[in-house]
Amino acid sequence: MSVGVHHAEGVVSLANYVFPNDVHIHWSLMIVLYPYITGIVAGAFIVSSLYHVFGIRDLKPISRYSLIFALAFLCCATWPLLLHLGHPERAFSMFLTPNPTSAMAGFGYIYTAYLILLVHEILFIYRPTMVALWQQSKGIMRGIYAFLSFFNNNLSRESLELDHKIINFLAGIGIPMACVLHGYVGFIFGGIKANPLWATPLMPVIFLLSACVSGIAGIIFSYMLIKKFSGGTIDVACIRTSLKFLWGFFILDFVFEMLEVFTHYYMSTHHWHVLENLLWGPLYTTYWTLQVKVFSVIPFILLGILCLVKLKDRIILFFAPIVSLMILAQVLLMRWNVVIGGQLMSNSTRGQVFFTPEWAGREGIIAAIIVMTAPLVILFILSRIFPLWIHEEQPQET
Amino acid sequence: MEDIRQEIDQDRRAFIRKVLGGTIAGSLLLVIPMPASAVLRVAEQIPGMQEETEVFTKKRFVFVVDITACIGCGSCCVADKAEYNVPDGNYRTWVERYIIDDHDDVYVDSPNGGLDGYIQPREGLPHPTRDTFFVPKLCNMCEKPSCTQVCPVGATYKTGDGFVLVDKTRCVGCSYCVQACPYSVRFINPETRTAEKCTWCYHRVRKGYLPACVSVCPTQARKFGDLNDTNSEVWKILHEPHVVSVLKPDMGNQPALHYVGLRREVV
Amino acid sequence: MHKESRSRYNAHLIKLIIALVVVGVGGYFAKQALSPDTMGQYGHYRGADIEDQKNIALKLGTNDSCFQCHQPIRTIHKDGVHKTVSCEVCHGSYGNHIGDNDEKIGTLPVKRGDEISQLCLRCHNKVIQARPREFIKMVGYPEHLEQMQVNPTHNCSQCHMVHDPLLWIRQAREMMRMPEGA
Repeated sequence: MSVGVHHAEGVVSLANYVFPNDVHIHWSLMIVLYPYITGIVAGAFIVSSLYHVFGIRDLKPISRYSLIFALAFLCCATWPLLLHLGHPERAFSMFLTPNPTSAMAGFGYIYTAYLILLVHEILFIYRPTMVALWQQSKGIMRGIYAFLSFFNNNLSRESLELDHKIINFLAGIGIPMACVLHGYVGFIFGGIKANPLWATPLMPVIFLLSACVSGIAGIIFSYMLIKKFSGGTIDVACIRTSLKFLWGFFILDFVFEMLEVFTHYYMSTHHWHVLENLLWGPLYTTYWTLQVKVFSVIPFILLGILCLVKLKDRIILFFAPIVSLMILAQVLLMRWNVVIGGQLMSNSTRGQVFFTPEWAGREGIIAAIIVMTAPLVILFILSRIFPLWIHEEQPQET
Repeated sequence: MEDIRQEIDQDRRAFIRKVLGGTIAGSLLLVIPMPASAVLRVAEQIPGMQEETEVFTKKRFVFVVDITACIGCGSCCVADKAEYNVPDGNYRTWVERYIIDDHDDVYVDSPNGGLDGYIQPREGLPHPTRDTFFVPKLCNMCEKPSCTQVCPVGATYKTGDGFVLVDKTRCVGCSYCVQACPYSVRFINPETRTAEKCTWCYHRVRKGYLPACVSVCPTQARKFGDLNDTNSEVWKILHEPHVVSVLKPDMGNQPALHYVGLRREVV
Repeated sequence: MHKESRSRYNAHLIKLIIALVVVGVGGYFAKQALSPDTMGQYGHYRGADIEDQKNIALKLGTNDSCFQCHQPIRTIHKDGVHKTVSCEVCHGSYGNHIGDNDEKIGTLPVKRGDEISQLCLRCHNKVIQARPREFIKMVGYPEHLEQMQVNPTHNCSQCHMVHDPLLWIRQAREMMRMPEGA
C-alpha cells in the first residue's frame, strides 16, 4: 500500500514527524469491511427482532428476509479477517488458546455462538415451511429440506407451540448477543489507549448504533431492490415503519458521533491537538466533507421529512432506497475514518501519514469488492432454499 | 613500524593456530565439550549470568538511556540491524534528532531510523536553534505491557523476569499489538509476516552478554543492568539524584526503560 | 393435516440438543489435544518459547570476541581514545566472519580511502550540533585539513590510526620532542 509522509508547504512539513514504524498502515481495507459486515449482521438481526420480540407488526414482511440477510453476511464476516492475517493458517489458535485479556480473542467464540444462534433461530422459524417443502420436493432438495427440518415432520399444535417458545427464547438472547457482537467490535478499537481517536468509552456505543443503522438501511435497500427486479409488490407500510426506525437509530448514531468529537474538542486535552491535525488534515475529505456533510446531514434531513411529513407512497418509494444507500455509505465512511483514520496519526503526536488503498493484493480494492459481493451471492443461494417472503409459501397453515 | 610488527604477529599467530588446530586441539575437541560458538568463550559482560540456570533469572533488568551522552552515531542501529537482520523500513531501535528553536517550536527527524548516522544538519528551519539532542528509542519493556494484553492468541508475553517477547511460531500477524503499543516499537516483519520488536537481546542477555546496542555504544549512552544489584550503574542512576524519567508516563505502562536527562518535548 | 407424522412433537429439539452437546464436547477435547503442550506452563503462552528464544545464536560478539585472534589490534585499541568503539560497527558482524565451529566462514570487508573518512564523519562531523561536546571531539571537514596544513585530498586515516586516532600523533610528538598540546 502506498503511504506517503505528509509534506505540506513550509514549516508544517518540517515539523511533521512520524515514528519510523508508523508509516505502515497495518489495518487497511479488510479491517474497514470487518466491522461493516458484522454491523450489517447485527442491524439486520435487530430488524427481525423488532417483529419477533417487540411485536412491530408492520415489519412482518421483512422479518424472515432480514434473518436470511443477516446469515448471508455473517457467513462472510470472517473473510476480511482471514485475508488480513499474516498467518491465516494459524487463525484457529483464536479458538485453541484465546487470550482472556485480549478483546480480539473473544471474536472466535462470540462469532461462533452468534452463528449457531442465528442458524437455529432461522431453522425454527422456518420449520413448518421446511417440512412442507420436504414433503413436496424430490431428489437432493428433499434430503436438504429433511435435514433442515431436523428429520421431524411433526407439525402438531404441541410441536409448533414448542417451536414458538424456542423462537422467543432465541430471539430474546439474540438481541443482547447481537449487541455484544457489535458493541464488542467497537471495543476492539475503543480499548486501544495508545490511539486517541479510538480510545473512548463511546466507541462501542457508536459502533452499535451505526450497526443498527446500516442493518436497517441494508434491509430497506435490498428489499426494495429484490422486489423491483423480481416483480413483487413492496409493502409501503413496512417501508414507512422501517424508515421511522432508521431515522430513530440514525439520530442517536449521528448525535453520538458528533458528541464524541465535540467532547474531545471541549476537553482539549493533549490528545485534541493530535485529533485536530488529523480531522483537519488527512481525514478532512473523508470525515467532514463526505461522512458528516454529504452522507449524514442530507440523509438526516431527508429521513426527518420522510417520517414527519405526510407524503404520498410514490415519494416514499422513490426516496427510501436513496436514503438507505446514503446511510450505507455513511456507515462505510465512518468505518474507514475510524479504522484508517486512527492509523494516520503517529504515536509521535507530531505527524500524520496519508493512505491510498491499492487495487490488487490480498487487502486491495478488488479483494474488498469480492468480499462485499460474496454475501449477495450467498443470499441468492440461500433464497433458493429458504423462501424469503411469507406469501411465497403456498402451503402455509390454512 | 607498527604495521610491520602487526604483520609479523599475525603470521606467527596464524602459524601457531594452524599447528595447534591440526594436532593437539583437534584431539582435545573430542574430549572437552566446547561451547557452540567461539563468542561464548569470551568473558560474560553481565556478572552472574552463568549461575542463572532457572527458566527465569533472579535479576530485575532495566535499561537506561542517557540522552546527554548520545552522539547520534547510529552504531546501535547498525548493530541491531546486523544482529536481527531487520528488514529495511522497519526498526527495532532508532535514534531521533530533536531540534528546539528559540520560538520553542520542536522539529524531530530520524532519517532511516538513524541507521546511516546523522550526516547532514537539518536545513530550512526558520529560527535559530535553542537546544538540540538525540533520543534513542527501543522497546520500553513495560511492567504493564499493552501488547501482551491485546494479543489474541498469547503469542506475545512477558517473561517472569520482565522481558516482553514474541513467539513467532504462534503469532497470527493480526497487528493488534502494533496498534496497541504506545511507543510504536512493533512492526510486522514483511518476510515472516509476524510481529517483531526489540527484545533487549534476550538471547544475548541469557548467555551473559549485553544487548548488542549497549555493547557497541561508544559513549555508554545506553546502559543495561540489574536493579537487584545495588552496585550496578543502573541502580546508582535510578537511586541517586538524577533527572530520570520514562516515556509517556500517562499511559500507565510503567516502562523499564528509563531516560536520563529527558526533556519534556520528547514523546 | 400432519397427523400422519410418526415423529414425537419434540424429536427435533432432542436431536438438536444431542448434536450440540456432541459438538461441544468434541470441540473441548479437540481444544485440549491441539493446544501446544507447554501452553500455560508459566503464563498464557507457549512455555517452550523461552528456551527457543534463549537458544537463538548470537550474530554480534563483543570486542573481546574479535581480540581472541586479532591480538595486535587489541593492544592498539584497548588504550586508545577509540577503546569504546565497537569493532563490528565498522567491520561487520562476528557471525559473518566466524562459524559455529570456530572456523572462518567469510572475510569482512575492509574500509578504504574515502569510506574511512565517511565513517569518521559519521560521529565527528562538527555540522551536527546535537552531539554533546564532552563526549566526542568534533571536527569541521575539510576545514580541519586546512588548519593542520595538510593536503586537502588527505583521508582521515592518513594522519589518524583509526583504531587509536591519537597514536601516531603521540608518536610524532615524542619524536619531535614536542610538548603536549602543541
